[in-house]
Amino acid sequence: MNGQLPLRTRRDFLSQTGMGMGALGLSPFLSSLQASSRSLNPLAPGKTHFPAKAKRVIHIFANGGPSQVDSFDYKPELEKFHGKEVPGEHLSTERKTGTLMKSPFNFSQKGESGIWASDLFPKVSEMVDDLCIINSMHANVPNHEPSLMLMNTGAERVNLVRPSMGSWVTYGLGSENENLPGFVSLCPGGVPIVETQNWRSAFLPGAYQGTHIDTKNTHISKLIPDIRNPRMPRELQRKQLDLIQEMNRQDGEKTGLDPDAEARIHSLELAYKMQIEATDAFNVEREPENVRQLYGETLHGRQMLIARRLVERGVRFVQVWHGAGQPWDSHSEIAKNHGKLGQEADQPIAALLTDLKQRGLLEDTLVIWGGEFGRTPTVELPTPGANAANTKLGRDHNHHGFTIWMAGGGVKGGYQYGKSDDFGFKAVEDRMHVHDLHATILHLLGFDHERLTYRYAGRDFRLTDVHGKVVSDLITQR
Amino acid sequence: MVCTKTERPLLPGFSFRAIGVAWLLACTGGAAEEAAKPSTFDTESIRFFENEIRPILAENCLDCHSGTKAKLGLQLNHRRGWIKGSDYRPVVNLENPAESLVLHAISHTPGKKVKSMPYEKEKISDESIAKISRWVEMGLPWPETPGAAEEDPRNHWSFQPVKPPTIPEGVHPIDHLIGEAQKNTGVAPAEKADRATLYRRAHLALLGLPPKFGELSAFVADSRPDAEAWPALLKKLMKSPHYGERWARLWMDVARYSDTKGYEAGGRERRFMHSYTYRDWLIQSFNEDMPYDQFLRYQLAAEQLVDWNKPEKKHLAAMGFLSLSKNGRSELIIDDRIDTTFRGMMALTVACARCHDHKSDPIPTRDYYSLYSVFSNSLEVGTPTIGEPKSGPEYEKYLKDLAKQKKVVEDFLKPKLDQIAKENPELASDRTRLMNKLDRAARRELQNKQRVVDKFVADSQMEPAKAIILKQKEKPSGHAVLIRGNPARRGDTVKRHFLSVLTSDPQPIYESGGRLEMAKDISKPDNPLTTRNIVNRVWMWHFGEGIVRSVDDFGIMGERPDHPELLDFLAHWFVENGWSVKKLHQLILTSRTWQQQSHNSQEEKNRIADAENRLLWKFDSRRLELEQMRDSILEVAGSLSDEMYGHPVRILEKPYSTRRSVYAFIDRQNLNPIFRNFDFSNPQESTGKRPNTTIPMQALFTMNSEFVQNQAAILGEKAQSQKDGVGWLHRSVFASEPTENDRILADSFLTAFESESSALGPRQTNTEWSYGWGSIDFKSGKVKFQPFPYWTGDSWQIEKEYPIKNSPLSYLQARAGATHPGHTNNESVVYQWRAPDGMTVSIRGVLERSSVGKGNGVRVLIASESSGILFDRVLDPSGSKLVTSLQDVTLAKNENLYFLVDPHENNSSFDSVRWSPQVFDQSGAWPKSGLAETFSGPATPATPWGAYAHALLNTNRFLFIQ
Repeated sequence: MNGQLPLRTRRDFLSQTGMGMGALGLSPFLSSLQASSRSLNPLAPGKTHFPAKAKRVIHIFANGGPSQVDSFDYKPELEKFHGKEVPGEHLSTERKTGTLMKSPFNFSQKGESGIWASDLFPKVSEMVDDLCIINSMHANVPNHEPSLMLMNTGAERVNLVRPSMGSWVTYGLGSENENLPGFVSLCPGGVPIVETQNWRSAFLPGAYQGTHIDTKNTHISKLIPDIRNPRMPRELQRKQLDLIQEMNRQDGEKTGLDPDAEARIHSLELAYKMQIEATDAFNVEREPENVRQLYGETLHGRQMLIARRLVERGVRFVQVWHGAGQPWDSHSEIAKNHGKLGQEADQPIAALLTDLKQRGLLEDTLVIWGGEFGRTPTVELPTPGANAANTKLGRDHNHHGFTIWMAGGGVKGGYQYGKSDDFGFKAVEDRMHVHDLHATILHLLGFDHERLTYRYAGRDFRLTDVHGKVVSDLITQR
Repeated sequence: MVCTKTERPLLPGFSFRAIGVAWLLACTGGAAEEAAKPSTFDTESIRFFENEIRPILAENCLDCHSGTKAKLGLQLNHRRGWIKGSDYRPVVNLENPAESLVLHAISHTPGKKVKSMPYEKEKISDESIAKISRWVEMGLPWPETPGAAEEDPRNHWSFQPVKPPTIPEGVHPIDHLIGEAQKNTGVAPAEKADRATLYRRAHLALLGLPPKFGELSAFVADSRPDAEAWPALLKKLMKSPHYGERWARLWMDVARYSDTKGYEAGGRERRFMHSYTYRDWLIQSFNEDMPYDQFLRYQLAAEQLVDWNKPEKKHLAAMGFLSLSKNGRSELIIDDRIDTTFRGMMALTVACARCHDHKSDPIPTRDYYSLYSVFSNSLEVGTPTIGEPKSGPEYEKYLKDLAKQKKVVEDFLKPKLDQIAKENPELASDRTRLMNKLDRAARRELQNKQRVVDKFVADSQMEPAKAIILKQKEKPSGHAVLIRGNPARRGDTVKRHFLSVLTSDPQPIYESGGRLEMAKDISKPDNPLTTRNIVNRVWMWHFGEGIVRSVDDFGIMGERPDHPELLDFLAHWFVENGWSVKKLHQLILTSRTWQQQSHNSQEEKNRIADAENRLLWKFDSRRLELEQMRDSILEVAGSLSDEMYGHPVRILEKPYSTRRSVYAFIDRQNLNPIFRNFDFSNPQESTGKRPNTTIPMQALFTMNSEFVQNQAAILGEKAQSQKDGVGWLHRSVFASEPTENDRILADSFLTAFESESSALGPRQTNTEWSYGWGSIDFKSGKVKFQPFPYWTGDSWQIEKEYPIKNSPLSYLQARAGATHPGHTNNESVVYQWRAPDGMTVSIRGVLERSSVGKGNGVRVLIASESSGILFDRVLDPSGSKLVTSLQDVTLAKNENLYFLVDPHENNSSFDSVRWSPQVFDQSGAWPKSGLAETFSGPATPATPWGAYAHALLNTNRFLFIQ
């Protein structure tokens, strides 16, 4: 698909939207037309390079940087060396850190796999047999902005203009439901740092940009702009739409409709349906009581349930942010701050996995959990000035080694990949860079990351730039 | 040096002869240059290479070190690569072969600061090492591969001088050349479009606005022949000031125009404050038809071209082209400027050569850093005032307030600096150095205080117009090549010069800072890229596609011109005609090629021959761009403001501006998604061609947005007062009379809409729901319902005061999903749901009451007009939840269903409840309707005429250029 949008024929488009020629009474002559190379419908389903194991993605973004040694990377040595200097190299991070600090959370072996996990995520850790935990992640720098950009766009410089992973995936795969945007970013209460750049499409067409939804709003008209006409009840709007389409049809008959004009006729119908479908997708009240209870009737429960409703309806890529800014950034009081965040996130995430599994959706839905980096096993030292007061028993950013997990979508469950050193400071075995993660995610979705390219400004761009290797150890053989 | 001689025996039996210079290495300089000459070797040495060496390389080296993605840039798959070495250093030493780095690497020689090779694999056999050593000693014999000796990319079409074809007398040159191209292809051009179509097309193309009916009809009725009337019309249109507004915006895509710098951490002010002066300069320049070469030079080096003491000082604003770049580290700002300049003005992707020689085009990294040096010698210093200084009481007040604001900063700073000066008396007189000594906390605080001042200045918009300029350094310096683009790895320092592919040998060196010289080189009449670039872009802006479709890449990876002769003709003609863009429009728009209909009677046949219409056998119709669409809506509704210039306005936020879209505030970092939904350019980087997509989000905007609805309502209101409303609307919106069919459709729509609306009766909201209070007769099930009259913005209630003291109405109120009844049964909360059609429905919902154990609970009822009470339960105070579900409720069209919360036995204490019942049509024909999801404020119902006007604004007839 070099150089232009994936080419989709008009005929595909019509069958995909369930609107055959007859539906709109278009001239039969048109049905023999091939669409021009200008892509009329950028969200029509695309073709993968090889059969995909995952068809959609839910990326749970613990923005701010969750601590690996307090969650899924158990380090008994940390207990022993608590309060002592790091034997060996003390890696540098954003701020100065001191002695090693044991986790305030309790670890135990879980599931049949016996993987160690802490009670920071009590319910999620009960599901380790479904998780593919990568303990050897590493990124390039210990700062939020570049690391967020790296994780989301594969290019860490904030001022480089690169499409986000969700945009790439939507570009490659299109959407399974044109009544909804293909890529949705749920973030309650505002935006993360670096803001909308986390989900923008950059040089890819705007159709692939993430639609940001502030899930703190419960009112649908505030969730998606222009989703409802405030001046016209639906029955009257239908009348209006019929008039528009009849005029379009009559005008088209005179000269023959060209593909652009025809595409617009269809998009009007899609928009009309979207008004209802989008309203419905975001209405978690429709879920039975037991499902709502499963997720918990909290902000995070609600947005995770929305995420499931969206992927269930064919949205390709859903990103679920913990909150505006960088909530997981616990420079101080890791016990209290991480504890609170874990409590907010745990039940909804566990519920999502359970629910997807029950519906048979987990099999081809890739769930990814993680932050832009992890945290130091050492305690952050107070720095003179503004931070003096709030650094107490907290941890600094750590890009040398961190943990993420994936579930479903063709990754092995109950599986741990890679190792960090004895203290969880640095990835040492089977090191997996963020580019490798991207390559692997695209692979699971059926794409060779070196071939999913877009020609722009004289170059073929790709999510992994010139890097990335697929880590096939993570992938199920089925 | 070994290879300076053309022929030299290396070993008995081997000879080595240079045969030419590979372009790739022409500019890499240093010892490698001469050695790079491809050579011929005798058969024996070639056989040695093929049999002994090539297998070793293939097995051990080439996985990582071949092709364009070779590690360290070291390509070992051809001899050139061996000679060139890695991006960092040579790997063979032909004078002293034993000291070749490559041999140290494979021999794992200790202490040579080179990684052992093959990387992380076992050492190759001693025998193999010996063979490689011998091969290096032999001078790297390698077979000449005929044909693989790269075609010199300098011969690529776009670098060749413009060669205009000869055009016979008496023909339109465009039509002649397109006609020639169509010959023998089986493709036939379309008919000429009628005057009305062409008038509208030209109006939108040149002014970005739809025509007015009166003017269009006058032109259609003009008795002069087309050959006279049409050119005169084009001239007239281009005199309109709206012309500059349209064409400035197109160039703003090229210039990645934005009113903000991009991402700034820590809440620092992002607005440029004076970006608009560049936009205004563009508008004026297009309107004045400034010669394009001068237009380019001003944008690159106005500060060296104009007299700062004369009115021509206004041209300083042109430098926004460079200065409105993304923020960030200096090397990225410079990269952005190089990219925007060369991709925008010459369709060359020079920025690809930042980290390595361009992978396909003849642009070595040294060229990049030579241009880099031009920009690194240009500093952002000061913003000279170019507008009238302001005056008057408002301005006086602004100055006073500003002084106050600045004083806050100074008051904060002074004691701190005094303290530092006391401790460091030697710095006392140097404020900059004193500032440098501020501690982190003080700096942060200073930043916070400064931010407030910056915001105040930006918000006030009281500063006189200023130009954001660059200035040359007094003493320009060369710049080192940054190896692989890494500022920490410096290579040779390069001199400032223009692109080597376009300059003769020896290269003229820019002695001064070089920006003016570069501007002159770019705008030279014989620069084949510059002239082809602009005529190609103007062509694209008229036809939707360029003659070269990759409009910002004329390199080897880009497309070839579909009509090379036409491109060269236009480029040449353009320069001959004084670089006049207006004349170019005149030439294009008088061609039959442009004047074709947007449909062709031989469509099917033509498509088979040329599916993409590269042979221009019709005019491709297309959707209006965002700006054209928005401006058209405002124009036909009579709302468009003709105010020109000035500070940007936010066009997608309330109160909706009626200014033209060119004046929109463009936020580089957080552009409102609606812009990109309509394929607006990405303000992060220079845009060649906007994408062309059709997605439902676009339709949601035209169908539902308040902005479009407002304009439709204005049109509707005017139409209603006309004798012939339908005719008036068609003339206003389409600049044409309605057809008979249009009238039939209009009449039936207006009638149906009217009658449906009145059947629905006056409505509190535009949903099926109404919110109010009243009572129910527990026996008959008859409900008394009164809608709440007062809307607070998020809740319905009796009046503004809440709660109402000393009244049984007290806490009565309805919010989305939450409510509270009044004191008695007479003040129950009542929600009314009106069935939009006859249907059988089910009802779901859970009522929740949080004050468990307090008060006496609530009584919950559901009733329909025809069946009376359907549900009647009491939630007693011990319970917190009550499931309110029903099945199989049959309703007639427009029949009401009531949902009541009764305080139960006239005790409303602690009766705050949450309830969001939902109604489902069991047949599935109607979507479900939930109280909370649809909860809305008062209806501002569309009138039939407003709805009709709104429909017209949504037709393809209005939204497309035909």
